[in-house]
Amino acid sequence: MKILIIIPAYNEEESISALLDKLDSEYPQYDYVVVNDCSTDLTLKILKERNAHYLNLPVNLGIGGGVQSGYLYALENGYDIAIQMDGDGQHKPEYLKNIILPIIENKADAVIGSRFITNEGFQSSAMRRLGINFLSGLVYLLTGNRVLDVTSGFRAVNRKCIEIFAKEYAQDYPEPEALIVTAINGLRMIEVPVIMQERTGGSSSINGFKSLYYMIKVSLAIIIARFTKKRRK
Amino acid sequence: MSIYLKITLLVAIAVYFLCIFYLLKKKRLELRYTLLWIFGGILMLFVVLFPGVITFILKYTGIVEEVNAVFAAVIFILIIILISITSIVSKLNSDLRKLIQKCALYEQRIRELEGKIK
Repeated sequence: MKILIIIPAYNEEESISALLDKLDSEYPQYDYVVVNDCSTDLTLKILKERNAHYLNLPVNLGIGGGVQSGYLYALENGYDIAIQMDGDGQHKPEYLKNIILPIIENKADAVIGSRFITNEGFQSSAMRRLGINFLSGLVYLLTGNRVLDVTSGFRAVNRKCIEIFAKEYAQDYPEPEALIVTAINGLRMIEVPVIMQERTGGSSSINGFKSLYYMIKVSLAIIIARFTKKRRK
Repeated sequence: MSIYLKITLLVAIAVYFLCIFYLLKKKRLELRYTLLWIFGGILMLFVVLFPGVITFILKYTGIVEEVNAVFAAVIFILIIILISITSIVSKLNSDLRKLIQKCALYEQRIRELEGKIK
């Protein structure tokens, strides 16, 4: 089975090397592709120097467009499984195996690495958890799927899902919306426990006033996505 | 509607149509995006030429003055056009995104193939 790790990266010069070192030395069975979304720091230089596999977006697209490029790459190169993983050190490669296992066993089409099953490791702030719980409730209400960690960017999907995401992927703050898209296309989602680290470099893209915008935008997007008809192939 | 207001509005509408046709002739506007503007202009012209329509509308909408009805109609048309422009921008945005992604994929292919040649 061909497995691809998609690593969206925007200004990750502090953490990307450590992650790629680890992938190269301990997980050579997985391919990876870093999507450099017009970083303004040394990310691109680091990628070039170590001759890493990367896509270099000529224009900044944001996380959604970046990740989607990864899915397009997976689609064009015939990958069976695509794993999405942040380049900022929050997601540990140790869990890659757990995250793809349900797909290999054909128990799920999409797997989400969740912080909130065992409640271990980095749990985010109370305010953020409140927001995540709200969105999780909304997803449950609209699709009947119980997903606890709706904003987790540590996910694995199978070929069917790759095809859908390559065509249709939300552009900003895409994680919760992608769940709805997965659900309305009749795909099976499950969560597996992972322990996340507090980021080792960079800073979160969502804070202060943006979090209000985030909540409103994502809630709306989830509701609209629910009422969008299933894509015909 | 006073005759002075009528003339002012007619002149304004004439300028409006001249602008549109000038830009169309210069190919700085695409006709399919301009249809809404032309349609809006015809509507405005109609209202100015036959204010009786407005009197009729006034009776049933609760708008007090004729002039207000004209302004309301214009603002309504503008809002519709703005929405259509937002939709055009969104479409362009999504087209552009696809191009950028394709570009990045090709660039990666080229790098990979170059690597193989060396």
